[in-house]
Amino acid sequence: MSAAVSALSAVPVLSVLSALPALPLQFADALFEFLAPSTLGEVIVRGLAEASLYVMIAAGLTLVFGLMGVLNFAHGSLTMLGAYLGGLVLVITVAQSTGGVGRLLAFGAAVVVAFGGLAALGGALEVGLVRPIYDRPPLYQILLTFGVTLVLDELARIVVLFYGLQPTTVWQDVLGTKPAFLADSIGVAGVSASGLELFHVLFGVATVVGVHLFLTRTRYGLFVRAGSEDSEMLSALGVDVNRVFTVVFALGTGIAGAAGVLLAWDPAWGASVPLGAETLLPAFVVVIVGGLGTFRGTVVAALIVGLVDSTMTWWFQNVVSFTGLPEMVVFLVLVITLIVKPQGLYGVSEVGGH
Amino acid sequence: MNSGLSAEFTALLPRIETLVVVLFFALFAMSFDFISGYTGYLSFGHAAFYGTGAYLVALAANDKLPLLGPETPFMLLLVLAGVAAAALALAIGSVSFRLSGVYFAMITLGFSQVLYVFVRDWDFVSTAPRDGVAVTEKLEGFQIGVPGVDALNVAIGQLTGDSVEGLLGFITLSPTEVSFYAIGAVVLVCYLAMQRLVHSPFGRTLIAIRENEERARAIGYNTYAYKLRAFVASGFFAGVAGALFVGFRRSVTPENGFYFLVAGDALLVSIIGGFGTLAGPLYGELFDAGVREFLSKEGGGGGLLPYLRANVGDATLATDIYNGLTVAEATDTFLNGHAALYVGLLFVLFVLYVPNGLLGTARDRMGGTLSKAVPRRLRRWFDG
Repeated sequence: MSAAVSALSAVPVLSVLSALPALPLQFADALFEFLAPSTLGEVIVRGLAEASLYVMIAAGLTLVFGLMGVLNFAHGSLTMLGAYLGGLVLVITVAQSTGGVGRLLAFGAAVVVAFGGLAALGGALEVGLVRPIYDRPPLYQILLTFGVTLVLDELARIVVLFYGLQPTTVWQDVLGTKPAFLADSIGVAGVSASGLELFHVLFGVATVVGVHLFLTRTRYGLFVRAGSEDSEMLSALGVDVNRVFTVVFALGTGIAGAAGVLLAWDPAWGASVPLGAETLLPAFVVVIVGGLGTFRGTVVAALIVGLVDSTMTWWFQNVVSFTGLPEMVVFLVLVITLIVKPQGLYGVSEVGGH
Repeated sequence: MNSGLSAEFTALLPRIETLVVVLFFALFAMSFDFISGYTGYLSFGHAAFYGTGAYLVALAANDKLPLLGPETPFMLLLVLAGVAAAALALAIGSVSFRLSGVYFAMITLGFSQVLYVFVRDWDFVSTAPRDGVAVTEKLEGFQIGVPGVDALNVAIGQLTGDSVEGLLGFITLSPTEVSFYAIGAVVLVCYLAMQRLVHSPFGRTLIAIRENEERARAIGYNTYAYKLRAFVASGFFAGVAGALFVGFRRSVTPENGFYFLVAGDALLVSIIGGFGTLAGPLYGELFDAGVREFLSKEGGGGGLLPYLRANVGDATLATDIYNGLTVAEATDTFLNGHAALYVGLLFVLFVLYVPNGLLGTARDRMGGTLSKAVPRRLRRWFDG
């Protein structure tokens, strides 16, 4: 029996070795090509663009967890709803003849609508469903939000089917509303990057700065930081903690909605019902790697995951013929981080009784 | 089936094919409940063990594994699938149990997703790994029974299974019914084994860990070793469940083997049935499968749609509800194929209002396990 088991475990190793280039020389060549300034520059720009998407997806999740200790499994579905809601606004407002600036304005309107709509939904969810179970073990909050995901996904599927779209394929009309100049590539000092990537970076930086200013410069941000430390003490000081919880939950889901609109314009993601599960997993990876509940950790982790992802994508496209390489390495980052630093990069152990 | 209500029963009760699925998936959900419900550690990557068992059987039957060919007896494969999954659980668990709470759930999720992506894109498993593996090298069905005694083995599977005619003079069973009893026997043995573990001092220690781990450690239990052993046992039974799955369905895809939502389904049925009650997941899965089939799209055999077509007049079905939407169209849009919506709503209601699930609540009401409480009540009732 033990011989059979050890023979079994030998199989994957052998096959992976044969999938990698057999000659070290070839590997050195690839490494040399990878380290060329223009390649490296492009990989870094793409990594930053992906990091921006990741930080957008994960920011709301980390805010909610940091304050309330609730790991929101419905976060991905809320991003998906945001993508559809924003996509609807874009499809309605953008005509064939709309110019580039007009399309960007429509995008702004879509982000505002998705943020507002999802924030309202998030607030309602918090008051109606999450609030009654704050005093239960953390497991029940995971279960509840997991159930909410099932309901939201199926509702989205019903509505999308009702209007004659395919829920599992990307809503192409939304991709068509993207201004032409975002698809062009721009070359600076030998490094070419697509307009969409720069747009993502811009959007991501704006979100990070916005959330940072909210946390450090506003009165509510002060409550959030104080509530993360000790919410009982905060309520003893006369702050209506329940309202702070609701506002932060609404803000978190609103950011998820805005992220959805950004993804609806990206051909690599696009608005579809499976987008919920597709964004939930990277969001978890980013939030856990950074350390649950620290916004700084989330930003750093998003940068790490984004850069790792784009690096691995390059290696997969040029050297290693294993399609799943980038995705697999992203999950490996999660596993390795948790083995080496069990609370994540900047995590503290006591958040939310976890 | 000739009673006055037979149409209602056909519509409401699941088909035998569904019930076979209920059996092996319930075994997987039980193994999930064994670790998560009893120790309180949410094993969100439990699909890894189910997938391992399933892929092991499929690959062995396709002659892809060394030392195991299509001729390997299925009973041996069941054990090997369990052992492989248990070995994986040992590896994952020894790292993961250094963490607790949500971090534990996330690291197990991470491991299972790494395996999912790996299996999905590894062209060793089949020519199109994204579509999974189908058993192609072995034409006859997998056999369950007493090893070595040919007469005491039956083949399982919808098309490849044995049928029984005239056993003891009056028992006649279709291949699917034979599969139901054969798989049911394996599931029963596994259930009894887990039941034995749960009611042993070992199982009591697991409950102590769930209720207060610090205290359990303080009285001298090596909680890490207990949790790890429970995880390995749980992985073993999850692997067996995966092996039964391929034994019956003869194919597996990354999505229904390794994907994290497979563990999500196990979580769902465990909660509905009763978290921390070993038999609960079976009732939860029965309930879930029943609702899904009642609202299934094709409505083959039973379900709401054929029942409505047969028993409600055309005039009613064609009635306008709103803006040209007829009753028939409305059931088609909002009910058929959308069972996930209603199961999800029920799940949320269960988490909010019935956190102990069906079986847990029944036990609380009756004051003890049903096998003890029901006879006690009956006796009291008869004694008046």
